[in-house]
Amino acid sequence: MKYLTFFTIIQIITSVFTENCQKPEVTALAYITGDATILTQIAFTTQFSLKCINGIKGISLYAEVNGKALPAVRLSAENKYQVSWTDDIKTTFSGDYSIKLYDEESYSAIRKAIRNSEDPSSIKPLAVIVLNNPGIYMGPWINSEFLAALLAIFVSYAAFSAKSKLLA
Amino acid sequence: MSGKSKAFTKEEELLLQDFSRNVSTKSSALFYGNGLIVSSIPIWLFWRIHLIDVYSNLISFLLVTLVSTYALAFAYKNTKYVLKHKIAVKREDAVTREMSRKLGEDKKMSRKEKDERILWKKNEVADYEATTFSIFYNNALFLAIVIISSFYILKTMTPAVNYVFSVGTASALLALLSTGSQ
Amino acid sequence: MFIGSMKVQFLFCIAAALLVAAYGEEDDNDGARLLVAKLIHNKYLVENMDVIVKYTVYNTGNAAALEVEITDNSFDPDNFAHMSGELNARIDRVPPNTNVTHTVVVRPRKPGYFNFTSAEVLYRRKEDAPRLQVADSSEPGLAYFTSYKEYDKKFSSHVVDWAAFAVMTLPSLAIPFALWFSSKRKYEKLSRNTKKH
Repeated sequence: MKYLTFFTIIQIITSVFTENCQKPEVTALAYITGDATILTQIAFTTQFSLKCINGIKGISLYAEVNGKALPAVRLSAENKYQVSWTDDIKTTFSGDYSIKLYDEESYSAIRKAIRNSEDPSSIKPLAVIVLNNPGIYMGPWINSEFLAALLAIFVSYAAFSAKSKLLA
Repeated sequence: MSGKSKAFTKEEELLLQDFSRNVSTKSSALFYGNGLIVSSIPIWLFWRIHLIDVYSNLISFLLVTLVSTYALAFAYKNTKYVLKHKIAVKREDAVTREMSRKLGEDKKMSRKEKDERILWKKNEVADYEATTFSIFYNNALFLAIVIISSFYILKTMTPAVNYVFSVGTASALLALLSTGSQ
Repeated sequence: MFIGSMKVQFLFCIAAALLVAAYGEEDDNDGARLLVAKLIHNKYLVENMDVIVKYTVYNTGNAAALEVEITDNSFDPDNFAHMSGELNARIDRVPPNTNVTHTVVVRPRKPGYFNFTSAEVLYRRKEDAPRLQVADSSEPGLAYFTSYKEYDKKFSSHVVDWAAFAVMTLPSLAIPFALWFSSKRKYEKLSRNTKKH
């Protein structure tokens, strides 16, 4: 019991001292593996830096993409983060993937909303990164050599039947 | 078919045979030229798609192309010979009509000369059709065999071996087939 | 006698517990414990093409792991182009029984054999842990990067090369066919006409 109270005090103190990030500015770079012919999964990776107008640095960020929760991983440079995940080739769609970023506070609010089966979309994310997937290359729809062989067989067949007609 | 033209059949046939056995230098050049072109086309396929090493296989390219050219020319000749008779019979009527319509107005020409003209025209038409068809037929089969053999049957072999066997077998097979149906 | 031995055992247990507590990280029942998997999500490994490396951190312990830092020094920039994702990443918190993934895309610069070794993970097993815990990820092991030429041969559709091939073969098929066919049609028409008369 004593332990618990101590813990709560710490929590309160930290929440007093951590300001929220004001007017967040996100600059992101993204990469999606586009050639599925050599892969078993599709990787989505984005690296971004977060700038807050009030100069807050080093906050924990959480991301949510299509209902999947992902922590934003911190990179070596200050205020740089990475959000990455892999998807099955079959479930990957082309188009926009929006990565909603939350800070600790809004993320726990979302968690709470989900637990209480309330609408989590009412909680505004800190920032949203839109990742556009132009489409994944799955290989040629028809094998060229197969097509060539098919055509060659067709022409040969025509030649062959014409010849047997001539010889008849 | 009239009785007159039937009476000529034996002579015609002799004449036709005689003509076709001695392949003129002109058609011989046509056969070898065609054979050379078609035999060299697979080099592109092996260079670009099978990624054969061009420089180390230059001698192989040269030898195989020459052998294949010879075999294809042989196949063209034999196929043409077989077809020519059949085509001559098939076109007999039409050519006779065409020629007699053309020569009918010429009163000066003797009957024998007219008949010879018709016979010559028949031979020409049959020769032309047999030659063109033979080239088309053998080219189509050659390319089909090369494609199927190199991409499916001999797929696992090295490009160099694949090339020699695919092109070699295709031309040899056609040469063989052309004698078989004779 | 029986009671006495029980007492001794009990005391021994306490001593052992104290010892373990003093050494912190040797205690398996307290704090976070991470298992780290390093996996390659590729069907084929090809020179100059994407290789997906995914690190999955799973906490089997009973407390959240803190300040988890993944470092992978096995992708030397001379041999690999780093496409996206960094090979050094920190995760603030990994709660118990959850996993966190980190994905990196690299491209091998040259073909040949390559040994995928493990990545190193540092973390704090609990808030007041005096030392950082070190863990090694699994090792994907020895792999072979196929040369692009080899890969291209197997998987490229060579559309342009086939188109050129078609252009080359077309005359040798179309010209004799067209000549034959036009003559055939001319005389077949003639013979049909004569039959009608």
